[in-house]
Amino acid sequence: MWKFIVRRLLITTPQIVLLSAIVFILAQLMPGDALTGLIDPTVKQERLEELRVQLGLDNPWYIQYRDWVAGIVQGDFGRSFIYKMDVTELIGQRIVNTIWLSVVSVFFIYAIGLPLGIISGRYNDRLIDQLITGYTYIGFATPIFIFGLIAVWIFGFVLGWFPTGGSVAPGLDPGTLEYYLSKIHHVLLPALSIALIGTVGTVQYLRSEIVDTKQRDFIITARAKGASESRVYNRHIFRNSILPIAAFFGYEIVNLINGTVLIEQIFSYPGMGNLFLESIVRRDTTVAITLVLISGIGAILGALLSDIILSMVDPRIRIK
Amino acid sequence: MSKSLLGKFLFVLMLAFVLLIAACSDGSDDDSSSDEEGNEESSENEGEDEEEEEASGEGDQLYSIEDFSPTTANSGEPIEGGELTYGLVTDTAFEGTLNWAFYSGTYDAEILNWFDESLLGYSNEYRINDEGAATYEVDEENSSITFTIKDGVKWHDGEPVTAEDWAFAYETILHPDYDGVRGTSAGFTRLLGYEEYVSGEADEIEGIEIVDDQTITFHYDRLTPSLLTGGIWGYPLAKHIFEDIPVAEMSSSPEVREEPIGFGPFKVESVTPGESVTLSKFEDYWRGEPNLDKVTIKTINPSTAANAVETGEVDLVDSFPADQYADNADLEGVDWLGMIDQAYTYIGFKLGDWDAEAGKVNYKPEEMKMGDVDLRRAMWYAVDNSEVGEQFYDGLRWNGTTLIPPSHPEYHDDSIETPTFDPDKANQILDDAGYEDVDGDGFREDPDGEELVINFATMSGGDVAQPLANYYMQSWERVGLNVELVDGRLLEFNSFYDRVGQRGEDDPEIDIYQGAWSVGYDVDPTGLYGKEALFNFPRYESEKNDELLAEGVSEEAFDTEYRKEVYSEWQEFMVEEIPVFPTLYRSIVVPANERVVNWDITVEGTNTRYSEVGVTE
Repeated sequence: MWKFIVRRLLITTPQIVLLSAIVFILAQLMPGDALTGLIDPTVKQERLEELRVQLGLDNPWYIQYRDWVAGIVQGDFGRSFIYKMDVTELIGQRIVNTIWLSVVSVFFIYAIGLPLGIISGRYNDRLIDQLITGYTYIGFATPIFIFGLIAVWIFGFVLGWFPTGGSVAPGLDPGTLEYYLSKIHHVLLPALSIALIGTVGTVQYLRSEIVDTKQRDFIITARAKGASESRVYNRHIFRNSILPIAAFFGYEIVNLINGTVLIEQIFSYPGMGNLFLESIVRRDTTVAITLVLISGIGAILGALLSDIILSMVDPRIRIK
Repeated sequence: MSKSLLGKFLFVLMLAFVLLIAACSDGSDDDSSSDEEGNEESSENEGEDEEEEEASGEGDQLYSIEDFSPTTANSGEPIEGGELTYGLVTDTAFEGTLNWAFYSGTYDAEILNWFDESLLGYSNEYRINDEGAATYEVDEENSSITFTIKDGVKWHDGEPVTAEDWAFAYETILHPDYDGVRGTSAGFTRLLGYEEYVSGEADEIEGIEIVDDQTITFHYDRLTPSLLTGGIWGYPLAKHIFEDIPVAEMSSSPEVREEPIGFGPFKVESVTPGESVTLSKFEDYWRGEPNLDKVTIKTINPSTAANAVETGEVDLVDSFPADQYADNADLEGVDWLGMIDQAYTYIGFKLGDWDAEAGKVNYKPEEMKMGDVDLRRAMWYAVDNSEVGEQFYDGLRWNGTTLIPPSHPEYHDDSIETPTFDPDKANQILDDAGYEDVDGDGFREDPDGEELVINFATMSGGDVAQPLANYYMQSWERVGLNVELVDGRLLEFNSFYDRVGQRGEDDPEIDIYQGAWSVGYDVDPTGLYGKEALFNFPRYESEKNDELLAEGVSEEAFDTEYRKEVYSEWQEFMVEEIPVFPTLYRSIVVPANERVVNWDITVEGTNTRYSEVGVTE
C-alpha cells in the first residue's frame, strides 16, 4: 500500500507543476493587477508605477513565475499585495476557519444522511421513504445561497438563536473555553445550511444502494440461514451499500476545504472560499495561485484518501 | 384511489413543487449575484467608485438629500459606560493594515478613525483649522508652516506625541523601502530637500525642522493652497515603537496588525483578523474622556445589513447599500443621516491617447471620432440626467452640472449654465455641424459622409448598470447617433480601467466611457485633468486649462476668493470644451440607531464624533 501511495504521489507531482504554470499564466492574462483598485486622484500614478517595480509586477510572466517558484522551494509563497502580509500567514488564518466549518459540515452531512438513507432504503416505497425522498428532491432543487439567506433571516435575525456573521464573537481571548464555545456557536448555522442541502446526494446514493443490495442473492442466503432482520441489515446490507459513500468521503472533505464560497459570503465567514473569490477579483495573484495550488493538491490527496478508505472497507479491493 | 393513481398524483405534485421552487430561485438568483458583484467593486476601489449596487426602488416615492441631516437627532443624554457596535458593510474581510501610513482599504480607515487621528483638524470647507491636536501658523514670507502640538496629547501607552514622531512619519513614508501609496501630495513633494532624501543623497529631510518636542516647522519651496486643504500629512508615527523595525517590515508587523497604537479616543483591545476589532475607552484622550466605554467594530454582509440595523445588532454602519434605502426608509428605531457625496459620475470622450515616453497626454482631436466639440455638446443635450436620478436612484442622485461637485460648496459654481436635456437643441447642433443622415438608415453620418458608430464603454456591477447604459444609448439614438457598447456588453472593473487607460495603453476601440471620480478634500483637479495626469482618461489638454490649473495652486490662490474665481473660470471652461461631462451628483445615506447621539458624518464631525458619540440606553 505504501508503494501505491508513493507511486500516486510521484505521478501527481508533474500534474501540480503543470497546474501551477497554467494558473500562473492565466492569472497574468487577467486584465488589471493588484494596484488597479487603487485608482484614486489623491494617489499619484507615479507612486503606483514605483510600487509595480518594487513588487515586481512589471516583469514579464516567466520572470515572475521563476521568482515565485524559487520562493516556494524555500517555503516562501510570497506576499499578498492587498493584505501586505505573507501568504502563508494569511491562508493560515483562514484555513483554520475553513477546517472548522468543513469538519462540522461533514459531521452533519453524515449524521443526517446515513440514518435517512438507511431508513429510506429499508422501508422503500412506504410513506416514510416518500417523505425522505421528497426532502431530497427539495434539497436538490434549492440553491444553497437562497437556503442560507433564509436560514440567516429566520434563525439569526427573527429567532436570534445563532449569530449572523463572523467566525467568533469579538473580543474573546483565543484559547479560553468561551472562545471555543463561541466558535462552535458561529459555525453551527452555516454548517447546518451546508449539510441540509449537501446531504441529499448521500441519502439518495445510500437509498438506491440498499434497495439494490436487498435483492441480491447473498441476502436471500443470509435470510435463509435464519439471520435476524437487524443482522441482515446491519451486517450484510449496510456494509455493502456504504461503499460508494465511503469512496466519496475524500472528495467531500476536499470540496468543503476548497471553500463553500456562497455560504461563506452569506454568513460573512472568513474562510478560504471568500479569500479565493476576493483574491481573484482584486487581482491578488500570489494569494489566488497559492490557493489554487492548495486545492489542486487537496483534490489529489482526497482521491488518494478515498482509495485508501475504500480498500479498508472493502476487502475485495486490494491496492497494489 | 388505487396505489398507482396515488403515485402518479404524488409525482405530479412533486413536479409542480420543483418547478415552483426553481421559478422562485431564478429571480432571486439574479438579485443576489449582481448585488455581490457591486459590492466587491465598492470595496475594491476606495476613492474612486463607479456604478455600484444602486437600483431603482419599487415605489415611486422620491427622496431629496436636502431632507436629510448629517447629524443624529440627539433625543437624549448619553449614558455613562455605554457600549456601541459599529458595522462595516462589506462581503470581504478588512485588510487589517491598521496604521495611517500603510493602510490602503476604506474599511481599515474606518477602523483607524476610532483609535487614531490626524493632528490636524478640518473645517467643513476642508481647510485645516485649530480644532485638531495641533495648531498652525503660516509664514508666507519664508514659505513655511509651523505646527504646535497641544499639551497632553498622548499615545495609548502614555508616551507623549512629539514633533519627532511626526517627522518620523515623513521619513518612513518617503523611505525607498516604504510599500504604501502615500507620499506624493504637495505636503511631501514641496518640502525642501525632498528630492535629495528620496534619491538617497540625504539622510534627513532638509525642510523638516523640529523646533522642540511640541513644535515642528515645515519649509516648502513655495506655498500652495493645497497644503492647507489636505496636502499636509498630519498623522504621526510612534517613533518609540517603530524605530527598530525596518521600513519594509512595518506594514506586516504585529505593531500594525495585532496591537496597533494611536492617540485617538479608543484603544484597540483585540483584533480578530478580517472580522472584528474591539476597542475600549482611552481615558487620557487629549480632548477629554470619551463618552463610550466600549466599541465593537465588525463586518456585516451587505445583503443582511438592513436586518442588522433593524434588530440593533449594529448601531451605526460605515456605509449602506443605496439600493436598499427605498425599501428600508421607514425602519423603526432608525435615524437616516445623509449628505452630499464628494463624487460625481460622468461621461468621458476620448480625445487622444497617452504618450508614455513624454509622460503626458497626446491630445489629437482631429484624429478622434469625438474630436468635434459640437458633437460632444449635442450628446450632453440629448440625455436627461434629472430623469435618470429620479428613475434609477429615487432622487438620491441628481443632475450634475460642473466638475467640482456641490460637496465643495465654496468652489462649486452653481451659477454656471450647463446643457440640460433638450433633444431639439441637440438635433439643431448636429444639423448645424453637418452631421446628417446621408444614407437614410436613421443614423447620422459624420460631416464627411462617413458612417459614425460611437463605441461606449461602461462598467458592469449592480442592477442599474445595464438599464442605465441602455437609457443613454437610446437617448443618443433619438437624436440620430449610433452608439454601441464596446464588445456589445458591460466591462468588468479591471478590464474597463485597463482599456480606458490606467496603464497608459488606451484601447482605440473606446470612443466614450462612463466613469466616476471621488474628489479629495482639495479641489485641485490637476490629478484628473492635468496634461501630465495618467488619470486624464479623455487625454485632453489645452493652454488655458494648464494655466487655470496652475493658477489654482499658485501662491496667489492662497487667497480663497481668488482661488474661487480661478476654479469658477475652470468649471465654465470645461463646460465649453467638454472633454467630459458630469452626469450625476451623488449622496451618502447611512442609518443610525435612535439610541445613538452626537454622531455627525460631516468633515468637521470627523474631529469630534468618535469621542463624543454616546448611547442613551
